[in-house]
Amino acid sequence: MGYKLSFGEADRIFDSLQKEYEIWAPKRFVGKGRYSDTDMIRYDKIHRADEIEFNEKSDFPAKEVLTPITETLFYFTEDEYRESKATKKKLLIFMRPCDVHAKYHQEKIYLENGDFADSYYQRMSEKVKIVLMECGEGWDTCFCVSMGTNRTDDYAAAVRAEDEAMFLEIKDEELAPYFQKCASARFTPSFVEENPLQVTVPEIPNKEVLTELKRHPMWDEFDKRCVSCGACTLACSTCTCFTTSDIVYQENSNAGERKRTSASCQIEGFTDMAGGIVFRNTAGERMRYKVLHKFHDYKARFRDFHMCVGCGRCISRCPELISIAATVDKMAAAVDEITASQKAEGGK
Amino acid sequence: MNHDIDVKKVRTNCFRQSKVAGEFMLQMRVPGAVIDAKHLKAVAEICERWGNGSFHMGTRQTLDIPGVKYENIPEVNRYIKQYIEEVDVKLCGCDMEATEYGYPTIGARNVMACIGNAHCIKGNANTYEMAKKIEKLVFPSHYHIKVSVAGCPNDCAKANFNDFGVIGVNKQVYDYDRCIGCGSCVDACQSHATGVLTLNENGKIDKDPCCCVGCGECSLICPTGGWTRDPKKLYRVTLGGRTGKQTPRSGKLFLNWVTEDVVLGMFANWQKFSAWALDYKPEYLHGGHLIDRVGYKEFAKHIFEGVEFNPEAKVADDIYWAENEQRSNIHVMPLSQHKHAGPSEESSK
Amino acid sequence: MKNIIQPVACEILDVKQESKQEYTFRVKTDIRPNHGQFLQLSIPKVGEAPISVSDFGDGWMDFTIRSVGKVTNEIFSKRPGDELFLRGAYGNGWPLEQFQGKHMVIITGGTGLAPVRSMLHKFEKEPDYVKSVHLICGFKNQEGILFRSELEEWKHCFSTIYALDNEKIDGWHKGFVTEFVKEIPFDSFGGDYEVVIVGPPPMMKFTGIECGKCAVPDKKIWLSFERKMSCAVGKCGHCRIDEVYVCLDGPTFNYTQAKYLVD
Repeated sequence: MGYKLSFGEADRIFDSLQKEYEIWAPKRFVGKGRYSDTDMIRYDKIHRADEIEFNEKSDFPAKEVLTPITETLFYFTEDEYRESKATKKKLLIFMRPCDVHAKYHQEKIYLENGDFADSYYQRMSEKVKIVLMECGEGWDTCFCVSMGTNRTDDYAAAVRAEDEAMFLEIKDEELAPYFQKCASARFTPSFVEENPLQVTVPEIPNKEVLTELKRHPMWDEFDKRCVSCGACTLACSTCTCFTTSDIVYQENSNAGERKRTSASCQIEGFTDMAGGIVFRNTAGERMRYKVLHKFHDYKARFRDFHMCVGCGRCISRCPELISIAATVDKMAAAVDEITASQKAEGGK
Repeated sequence: MNHDIDVKKVRTNCFRQSKVAGEFMLQMRVPGAVIDAKHLKAVAEICERWGNGSFHMGTRQTLDIPGVKYENIPEVNRYIKQYIEEVDVKLCGCDMEATEYGYPTIGARNVMACIGNAHCIKGNANTYEMAKKIEKLVFPSHYHIKVSVAGCPNDCAKANFNDFGVIGVNKQVYDYDRCIGCGSCVDACQSHATGVLTLNENGKIDKDPCCCVGCGECSLICPTGGWTRDPKKLYRVTLGGRTGKQTPRSGKLFLNWVTEDVVLGMFANWQKFSAWALDYKPEYLHGGHLIDRVGYKEFAKHIFEGVEFNPEAKVADDIYWAENEQRSNIHVMPLSQHKHAGPSEESSK
Repeated sequence: MKNIIQPVACEILDVKQESKQEYTFRVKTDIRPNHGQFLQLSIPKVGEAPISVSDFGDGWMDFTIRSVGKVTNEIFSKRPGDELFLRGAYGNGWPLEQFQGKHMVIITGGTGLAPVRSMLHKFEKEPDYVKSVHLICGFKNQEGILFRSELEEWKHCFSTIYALDNEKIDGWHKGFVTEFVKEIPFDSFGGDYEVVIVGPPPMMKFTGIECGKCAVPDKKIWLSFERKMSCAVGKCGHCRIDEVYVCLDGPTFNYTQAKYLVD
C-alpha cells in the first residue's frame, strides 16, 4: 500500500512505532565533519522524521546499527563471563539499496562463514525491518549500478521524502496498521539506473596472473599516497573486521568487559602477532590486500558477488583522495598487462 | 629636482616615501587578505598608469604599488575611491565614507589573515570574516595596531608576531564508543601538536586537557569520527608580538577558548584604550609599545571593559614577555626618559 | 542460541617449565581436539589468544606457551588450581588418515614442535600407525629447547636430527633445519611418505624449498600457519590470507595451497 504523509503525521506514527521499535536512520551532525564547518552524517537512533537526512548520502554505513564500532560481548569477573544483552525492541532501519545489499555480506561473514553463527549479529539481525530510502539520482561517488546493487525489493517499507511530505510504500503486514489513517497515494520506489562513475572489475583468469598481480608495482604507489588511517574500511558498507579485547573497570579491577571493536586491515598492527611477527608492513601491501579482498578473494571464497556494493563511502572519506574506482581501473590495466605478457611468453 | 613634500601627511594617506625623491608606494588594504579577483585589474591599471609598472606583495598583505609620483597622488586617490568603497565600506562595514582623497589614515594596519577554514583542511575558523569584523572595529583610526588572524594554531598568518594574534581553535570532543583505539590521533598530536594524547590499557584515549592547543589534528585523522570539533567557534589570542629593530618578540598567550563576542568586544575597546593611554593625542606609537607603557594589568582593565567572558574562557592574569633585545638593557634608562602613560597631570585637573 | 565465543572455565592441573621462556599448562577439560588443532585461551582482564594443543588425553589438554604478548604473560602468573578459560577446539588438524601407514618426515622450528607433539606421542605409542618417523627439530639456542625428555625418548623410536641455529653442544648439530633436509632418505620411501613442516614463516618457506630440491612433490608437504586471531570462528578477519581463513581452513594446509597464499 502507498501513502502520503506530512512530516507531522510521520512524527505521530514514529511516536507509536517507538513503543515497539527503535528507529535508526542517517542523521546530520552539524559541524562534526572531518573539516571545520562541515557536517557528519551517520546512523543514530531518531525520534522525529525531520531528524532523518534524506538529501545526502551518509558518511558512515548502516552496518553500524547492527555491529556498533564498540560492542560489549561479555561482562566478566575473575571466574565468569556473562553475555551482554541486546535491546528488547525491534529495529526499524532506514537504508539505501547499497546498505541493503551490504547486509548480505555482513550476514555471509557473521552468520555463515565457517558454519559458525555469531550470536551477537544474529540477535540483532532478527529484529531488523528495512525502510528503503529512495536515492533519486545518487551521488558523485556512487557506482552501485556497476556492482549490481542499485535495486532491491528486500524491504518492509520504502520512502521518498519531499520538502513537505513523504511517500511511503508499506509491504510489511506488521507495519501496515500504523498507517491506516494516512492518505493513500501511489508510490513505489524508483532506483538509480545509471551512475556517472562506472567500474569494471577485471576477471583474473588464473592463479599465475593473480600471483603476478600481487607482485605488480601498481601497489607501490600507495606506499606514498595512503596514510593507513583506515577511514576507507570504517566507512565501508561491507567490511566486518574487528578486534576483541578486555577492558577493566577502574572502580573494580577484577571486573570488566570483553568488547569487540571495529578493526581495519589498513591500519598498522592488524596482523601483528605476539612475539613481533608482522605480515603486511607497507601501505601498498595493505592496499593490495584490501582491494584484492573486495574484488577477488571474497568472491573466490563464496562464489557469488564481489565484496563491494559501490556505495563510494571509502572514496568520500579518504583524506588522501584515493579512489577505489580508479584503483580497480589500475588493477584492470595491470591484469591486461600481465595476461598479455603471459601470452607473449607462451607464444615463444 | 626641487621637492617640498610633507611626507608624514602623505604617509597618513598610505603612501610610503621612496628613496627616489618625489616617488611613493601606495599600500592598499586587503582586510583578511581575500578580495574579489576583479580588483586585481584595477590594481594592475594603477601600477601601469601611475606606478613604475611593477607590483609588490605587501608583507602585511597589502597590495603595494611602487613608483607613484607625488603629483599623481590626487589622481590615484580618485581612482581608488571605488576600491575603498567596495572593500572597506561595503565589505567590512567600516564607519567611513570613501572620498576622492584616498585612505583617511594609515593608523590601524591591515588586518592580516591566512586563508582559513574557507579553504584550508586544517583551518578551524573563517579567518577573513573575522578579519573584516576586526577591521570594522579598528579602522579608520589613527591609533596604530597590528592584528593577524590565523585559522589554526599552526599560525601560518604569523599571528604570534602581531600586537594581537587571533587564532581559531576548537574544543575536541571524544566519543568513546566510536574510538577503535588505532592511535592515529596519538601520533598526529605527537608529530603535529603538543602530544597530549595517549592510548590507554583499554585501547581508548587519555588526554591531558591542559596542554591541548585546540588545533583539531585528532579530528582530522580520526577514521571513525571518534574525535570531532565542538561546533562552538573559539579563539586563542596572543598579545604583544612584534618585529622591529629594538625589541622583537613573540606574542604571549593572552586569551584562550574565547568566543568571537569576546574577541570583538575587546577590539571594540582598542581605540578607547589607545586614546586614554596617549592622553587623547594620537601619535605614531606602535600598539604593542603602548601596552608595554601602560603595563599588562592596567591594559587588561581597559581592554576588557564591558566584555562578558564565555564559561570556557581563560584569561592571562599577567604576561611575562621575553624579548629578543637587539641591544641588551636598552629598556634601562634615566627616569626622565621614561614614557608617560595615562592622562597628563594637566588634563586630569 | 548457543554463543560460539563463550569461554568455559577450566582448572589448571599442572604447570611445567619447558625452557627459559616456555611453560606447559595442563588443563582439566572434556574437549577432545584433533592433533594439530588450536583453542582460544582467555583470561579475564587480559583477553584471548589462539594456542595450539601440544598434547591431550582423557580429561586433560596441554598448552605450551611462550611468554610473549599480553595474554601469554598473564598466564605465567597462574598456578595449579587456578582457572583458565577455553573455547574450541578450532581449525583443521593434521590429516592423520592420510598419514597412516606411510613414512613420516616431521620438521619443526622452535615452538613449531608444540603443534606436532601430540601426533608424535601417538606415533610413539602406536608404532604400527606409520612406517617410520624422521624427525628434524631445530631451536635457536640451548635456552629455547622444548620437551627435552621427550626429545631424548624419541631418539630411541624415531630417526632424529636435532640442531641449534647458533650453538654447538653435545649430541646436537649446529645449523638451520633447512641444512638437514637432504639427510632424509626420501628415495628409500618409494614415494610412500608425507612431510610436515611447522615453524616460523621464513623457516617453513625455506624448508619447503629444500624439500622441493629433494624432489618432494608439493602435495606431500603439510604446514601449520600461525596468524593473529581475534575470534577463531571466521568473523574477525585478522587471520585471512587471500580467500582462506587460517582459523577455519587451517591452521594446517597442504603446500599446494599454501605456496600460493600471500599475506
